[in-house]
Parts: sequence; structure tokens; C-alpha cells
Amino acid sequence: MQKTLRTFITIFFLFFLLPSFTGCKGQQDVKNDSLGGKIQLEVWAHAGQEKERKVLEQQVARYNQKSSTAELHLTFIPERNYNSQVQAAAIAGDLPDILEFDGPYLYNYIWQNHLLPLEGLLSQSLIADLLPSIIDQGTHGSHLYSVGSFDSGLGLYARKDMLSAINVRVPQSVSDAWSADEFKDILRKLAEEDEDGAVLDLKLNYGGEWFTYGFSPILQSTGADLIDREDYQHSTGILNSPEAVAALQNLQSWFQAGFIDPNLDDAAFTTGRVALSWVGHWEYSRYKKACPDNLILLPLPDFGEGSRTGQGSWNWGITRNCKYPDKASSFLTFLLSTPEVLAICKANSSVPGTKNAVAQSELFNENGPLRLFAAQLLGGVSIPRPKTPAYPVITTEFQKAFQQIRNNGDVQEALDKAASNIDQDIRDNHGYPFRNFQ
Amino acid sequence: MISASTDLRRRQDNKIAWFFCLPALIGLTFFIFFPFILAVFLSFTNLRLGSPLPLEFMGLSQYSRIFTDTAFLHALKNNTVFALIVVPLQTCLALLLALLINQPLRGMFIFRTLFFMPVIFPLSLVAVVWILIFAPGPQGTLNSLLELITLGSWEPRDFLHDPHLALPAITITSIWQGVGFQMVILLAALQSLPTELYEAAKVDGACRSQQFFHITLPLLKNPLIFVILVTTILAFRLFDQVQIMTRGGPNYATTTVMYEAVSAAFGSQQVARGAAMTVVFFIIVLALTLLQRYIVRQEGASS
Amino acid sequence: MSVYLALGCLTLIFLVPVGMMISGSFKPDSLVLQEAGQLTSFFPDEIVLTNYQDVFARVDFAQYIFNSIYITGTIVLFGLFANSLAGYALSRLHWHGRKLILAGVIALIIIPLEAIAVPLFYEVTLFGWRNTYLVQIVPFIANAFSIYLFYTFFLGLPRELEEAARIDGAKPLRIFTCIVVPNAKPVFAAVAILTFLTQWGSFLWPLMVTHSENVRPLPLGIALFYTLPPLQWGDIFAFGVMMVLPVLVVFLVFQRWFVQGVASTGMKG
Repeated sequence: MQKTLRTFITIFFLFFLLPSFTGCKGQQDVKNDSLGGKIQLEVWAHAGQEKERKVLEQQVARYNQKSSTAELHLTFIPERNYNSQVQAAAIAGDLPDILEFDGPYLYNYIWQNHLLPLEGLLSQSLIADLLPSIIDQGTHGSHLYSVGSFDSGLGLYARKDMLSAINVRVPQSVSDAWSADEFKDILRKLAEEDEDGAVLDLKLNYGGEWFTYGFSPILQSTGADLIDREDYQHSTGILNSPEAVAALQNLQSWFQAGFIDPNLDDAAFTTGRVALSWVGHWEYSRYKKACPDNLILLPLPDFGEGSRTGQGSWNWGITRNCKYPDKASSFLTFLLSTPEVLAICKANSSVPGTKNAVAQSELFNENGPLRLFAAQLLGGVSIPRPKTPAYPVITTEFQKAFQQIRNNGDVQEALDKAASNIDQDIRDNHGYPFRNFQ
Repeated sequence: MISASTDLRRRQDNKIAWFFCLPALIGLTFFIFFPFILAVFLSFTNLRLGSPLPLEFMGLSQYSRIFTDTAFLHALKNNTVFALIVVPLQTCLALLLALLINQPLRGMFIFRTLFFMPVIFPLSLVAVVWILIFAPGPQGTLNSLLELITLGSWEPRDFLHDPHLALPAITITSIWQGVGFQMVILLAALQSLPTELYEAAKVDGACRSQQFFHITLPLLKNPLIFVILVTTILAFRLFDQVQIMTRGGPNYATTTVMYEAVSAAFGSQQVARGAAMTVVFFIIVLALTLLQRYIVRQEGASS
Repeated sequence: MSVYLALGCLTLIFLVPVGMMISGSFKPDSLVLQEAGQLTSFFPDEIVLTNYQDVFARVDFAQYIFNSIYITGTIVLFGLFANSLAGYALSRLHWHGRKLILAGVIALIIIPLEAIAVPLFYEVTLFGWRNTYLVQIVPFIANAFSIYLFYTFFLGLPRELEEAARIDGAKPLRIFTCIVVPNAKPVFAAVAILTFLTQWGSFLWPLMVTHSENVRPLPLGIALFYTLPPLQWGDIFAFGVMMVLPVLVVFLVFQRWFVQGVASTGMKG
């Protein structure tokens, strides 16, 4: 009895022990392996909405078929905590050859010396064709470190009939956007006609980064900002300036008056509960389906210094781990070719990353329904999120402040705290000095 | 003669004991003890995740910072309030359920399984379902239930975004998930109580509640203490529900020490600050545990 | 009779969230939220299997579940071995340093994974263990709480059999495997289930130390469904149901021993 028990246990142990030790490691970063002669390249992308993922998978498959020298292997990483996972891999030296990342985190990666400059690897004509917003986002110093096949658009979707019912003028372009006062008045009028008084959807059900992306343009529109963009060394006096406080107090008043729908089911706009939805390009196809003849796109309100909006989305970079940067860059060139750009933009309704593609796109050419988004990115109305390695702290602090403001906290206090925390982090890191490396 | 053999046994035992403990000790030392010491060390520095800058000593600055940070102070307060509420509430509920199930009736073990089910669900999944239950507006499950009960006079509330209701909401979720575990322990303890005592008490004319207070409770002292201690430690580790349901808000109403620590380390990438918070956490919980054991020993000595 | 009624009512209220999850997994995504406040929440008008299909289509579910079973199983198995030996040594043998080690073990119970995650991460990166099964298994084999449970249980076992064997000249290891273990089934079951429960839902650690699908466990699979809203609630619940089923089965099978084991450890306090 003891003997059989013992043999049983031994077998059990061996069974479990074996896979642990015999190469059942994860997809070993196959950077240098050649399988059947083709160079293997590792690509990481975020696991986004289904349509978007499918297109990327197809693009990688198409590229693998076309190329006789390189084979790409695509891994999807969960979108939530994407940056933390990449950071963890980076610390361990485990980064892939080609990495996708959310634009503003670029400077973190550059500061940590993970990325290769791209201007030597991509053709001049390609770079010239990119949207200025993408070049702005991807450049640091004199080098271009990232490119994107699409950029984002942020604006105000509206149901035309509800606006007509209260007789307001409809802005035709960025230059005649509603002023903040006008906007509040419109909200009030809409609320009077509305069942529950909630007439504006701010996507409160979103988490994290959305709040910085969606609402820091308010600061810029009022002449303030998240941080001093001269030298990126301090936020105090900028983030908690009187203009910033006033603008966010205005925003807070919308909450207090009950104009904002909590949107937990994410259907406030699609079911017609609200007339206005403050959100980005990614909602276009859903909204279009919900009100096909009634949907219009408007610029964000002007809080004093002109209507401003956000930009920046998922970008591609080549890491220093890559042994074959020219092969990697040929994949990027492929992604940036007009047909491929149009394919991905069709899937996620984003703004095409090249001027060529914009011109050929149904949605974004000068007669397209979303031409406002393109115009904002081409015309410098959009402002990139702060281009500094301190970005993770800046966005965390702004999000915390926003939560307090939306929950009726004191605006000045919230912004003061955020600014001082950001400043302290920058001081702790000695101002995030960039070493001079190629 | 006996002492010689026990002496030999002692020496043999020494070697063997270390042998027995070796695998576990290696694991504990390398994977819990060392990392914790490293965390203590890091709490005196300025380490930022992935920073190319050289590490610097900051003495006690991280500690002075977190103790002057309203968010962290709120976290300490929330953890304390949460523990003070959850521990007695969950324990009483568990005891009640255990008493109910402890009947010599058929099929009781089915109820035992059913009440234990929430314990099996990963906390992250539990949190997600409860988000739906606490959904604002008349569609939310709890809102519509309350509306039904109060015959329409209930105003739908946004539980998870109300500074006064958010922590209670998380408390309810935690109790739901944890009560089954305590119940099983108390039930097993109840089932092993000798029935003769109860027989004798009945003969003496004691009523149900007297039996409960004078027989059951004293005999349950040990399991109850165990359950209270474990629940207290777990209460201070509150993290998953906060992260998924409320993200520490609104206005720090639900933030906890662990949530602040993880946010600092992974959100703001300030590893050293997160480390300082976890060291504080450890000291607090250690003190509480020692305190509880001391109180128990005192009562044991006096009774 | 009234007891049945009381318990029945309590159970129904208690299992509302579970019911929502199960029925939600059979509903189209949009309806899950909309119907959260109605009775149809529990009895869907139409049962759709698309959510379950989605889960399999979108994610290599077989791989994830294998990973979870393999990782959790190994931790439990090796853990039973290492922790029971330690618990026995602490409870029965006389040796220098016993009190010290015992105190140390009890103190370590307090430390949660989140507290040491980052330093531990640096440590395993140094060992080069990233993105393997090893890194998800080895750090969790030794567990202070398990050792404590074994310790209190063994303290409560009557010593006579062991003493007799000792006098007969048997080695402690033999005594352990031949006498103690067969009488300790409840505590082994209890520790096995508790460890299984904790490790099955482990999310933070695998998130940090792995990135490849072929070593990632189930909770990370479900994370792939957390994209930009609108969230596909139906899919998430379907995944959740499938994730919980194996654990439910394990629990149902080992229930009796588990309850015995947990009770006997708790009683020593």
C-alpha cells in the first residue's frame, strides 16, 4: 500500500515537474531565430475592439505573405494596464521588435532608451505625408521615434433635431465654436425639454486615460494647461491657474445642475436620452447606426482662447532589442501605405495618419461627415498631451483631480494638490534629464 | 537513562527538523522575506519604475510624505472603519447562518454548499457583477428592488459614486463574498459540540437563549477568535473591489492602503512610495494581530 | 419547517448575483445592462449561445484553462508537500530555533502579495524567469498560512501512535508518511482547496511577469475582454462562468474533507 502510494506520488511529481523545466517557456522572444530562412520579428499590439483587432491580424498575415525575408509574430496584450505590462517587460529586457503604445507614453520609453530613431529607416516622402499631429507627437529633439497609421479625433456629437427644437445656431467649423457661456445656456435649454434633465454625455463610464484625453483640452482652451510646455519642469501656476480653476468650476456646474448623464449602459446618446455626446472618433459607427440622418459633429466649446481638442492614439515604434530594424521599418512602411491605412481606419473610424489617405477617405475628405476631425489635426487646433516622461504622473494626478471635481469637491484644492504632486515627482527625478544618445 | 535518549533524540530532531523545513523555508525566505526586506530598503529611496537615473537615498522622506498625504490618511481611516464594520457584521451573520444550518434536518449540506459558493468566485468577477447590482438609475438591480419595496418612494442613487454610499456598497460586496467561509468554520465547530451539555441544560430548565450564551458561545471561543483574526487581516488587505468598482473614489471615500500602494507603484510608477506604504501596512497589521492575541490571553488568564 | 423557509429565502437573496451572472452569459450584450433591474434579469427571454461562442473564437480558451490548471495544480501539489513537512517539524519535533521560526512564519502570514510584488518582480527578473511557468509557480509553493494550518492541526493529533513508533525506532520521516499523513486527510484537503482558490484567480502577478498567451492563466484571458467601452458584458460573464466551473467541481468533490479540515484547524485557534 505504501509502495504504490509512493510510486503514484513520484509519477505525479515527475508529470508536473517536467513541463516546468523542459522548455515550456512562453513564446521565447524569437528575435534572432530563423525559421525556414525567414527572420522572425515579434510585434506587440493592444487588444482593442474586435474589428480593429481583426484588421491588424489580417495586415500582419498579408505582410507575411508578401515578404520573403521576414515573418512577423503578433501578440495581443490586454488594453487595460497596457503600459504597466510594457514597463514590466522593458525592465526585464523583454520588449518585442515592434511595439505599439499609446502616444503620450512615448517620452517615457525614449527617456528609458528603449526606442530607435526612425528618420533614417523611413522614406522622406512617407514622413512628409504624415499628419503634422503625428509628427508632433512622435518627435523628440531632432529625432522621430514613432509613427501612427491613424490619429484620434475628439469632438461633440449632436442630434440635430434636438438642437433645432431649441433653436440654436450650429457651428460650422472650429472658428465659430460655441463659447463656454453659450454652451451652458444650450445645456439649460435642452434640459428644460428633457425628461430627466440630463442632456450631455461625458462618457463617465470610461476609465483612466479618457479623462485626461477628453478634458485637458478645456484647460488649453482657456489659456491654461497641464504643465509648463517651455521646459516641462513645473505645473504649479499653470494647472492651478485662475483660468484653469474657473474653467473647471464651470464644468463642475454642469454636474451640479444635473446636466450630465452617468451613462453606465453606454447608451445615453444612442438611445436618445441625451442630445450631446463629448467623445472621440471611435463612437462614430455606433452613433451613425443609431441616428443615421440626424448625426452632426461639432467642435468642443471655446473657453476663451479658442476651441481646442485632443490628439494622439496608438503609435508604432521599433525597440532597441530589434536586430533587424530595416525589416521592422518595412512593416511600418507597409502599415502606412494608403490602402492599409484606409483599412484600419474603416475598422475604428479613426482619422487616417497620412494626408494621402485623408484625401481618399470617404469620412474624412473635405466633404466627409468627419472632416472636422481631420481639419483639427491638420490645422494645429489639436494639442498633444504633454511630451514628457512625467506623463504617467501627470495623467494620474489629473484623473484624481477630475474625479474630485465631478464629485463636487473643491476645484482649487484639487488642482493645487495635483500640481504640487506633479512638481514633486519632477523634482524627485531631477527634471527627467535626457541623456544624449543616438 | 531517559535523559540520555531524549538528548540523542534532541540532536537527531535538530537535523531532521531543519531537513523537513528546508523546502518551505527556502521558499519563504527567497520569495517573501527577501522581497519584503528589499521593499523596506526601497522605501528609503526614490526608486521610480524603469528609471535610468541612479538610485538615491531619501531617508524618511517617503514616510513623511505619505503621512501628510490626504489620500493616504483617508485610506488609513477607510481601512479602519471597514474593518470595524465588516468583522463584527460578517462574523455575526456567519454565526447566524451556521446556527440555522446546524439542524438535524435533511439536505442541510446543500445550503452549506450554496452559501459557500460566493467564496469560490474570484474577487474580480464578484466585483463586476456587483457593479451591475449597484448600477445607478432605475435600471440598477438594487435601485429597482428598493423602489419595489418602498412602493416607489425610493430615489435611484448612484451607489458607487456617492461619497456616503460607496464604502457601504463595497462592504456589502465583501461580506457577501466572505461570509460563507466563516460560516463553514463555525458550522463545523458547532457540529462537534457535545450534545450532552445541551441535554443537561434542558433538564435544568434552561431556555434556548440561555443555552446559547452560556454553552455555545464559550465553547466557540477558539474558532471565533480565529475567524475574527483572519477576517481582520483580510479586511486590511482590501484591494480588488476598490480597484474594479470605485477606483478609490469618490473623493477618497473608498481608497485603501493597498489601493494607494498599488496605484503609486504601478499607476504613477513611484515604486519607493508604494514600498513605504506597504511597510506601514505591515506594521499596522502586525500591531493589531499582536494586540488581539494579547487581549485574548488576558481574558483567558482571568476567566 | 420554518427553518427550511428561512434558509430558502436567504439563499435566494444570497444567490442573486450568481443568478445574474449565469443568465447574463446567455443574453445578448446590450440586454445585460438594460435588464439589470428587472426579473428578466434571471429568466432571459431568449437564450443565446453567442457569448460562449465568442469566448472560444476570440481567445484560445483551451490554452488558458490548461495553463491555469497546470500552474494551480503544481502549486497545490508541491505546496502540500513542503508546507506539511514544515508544519509537522514545527509542531512535533524539538529543535533549536523552533520558536523563532514559528514566530517568523506567523509574522509572514500578514504580508500580502501586492506588498512584495515589485521587489519580487525585480528578483525573478534577475533570475531570468520571466514569461515562464516557473515564475508563476515557484514563489507560491511555500505559504506561511498553509504552514500555520498544518501546524495547528498536527498539534491536535493524539501523540500515542507516533510515540509508539518512535520508541520502536522508526525515523521521523517514516512516521510522518506512514502514520501522520493518513490521519491528516482533512487538513490536506483544506489546505489544497484554500490554495487552489487563492491561486486560481491570481491576476496581478501573471500580468507583470508574462506576456505570451501560451503561459498566461485564465484571469488574464478575461482581461482581453476589457477593451474600450461598450464592454461586452455577456462575453465577460460567459468567460466567468467557465472559469468558475472547475473550481466548483473541485469543491463539490472534496467538500466533506474540506469542512472537516478547516474546522479542526480553526478550533485550535
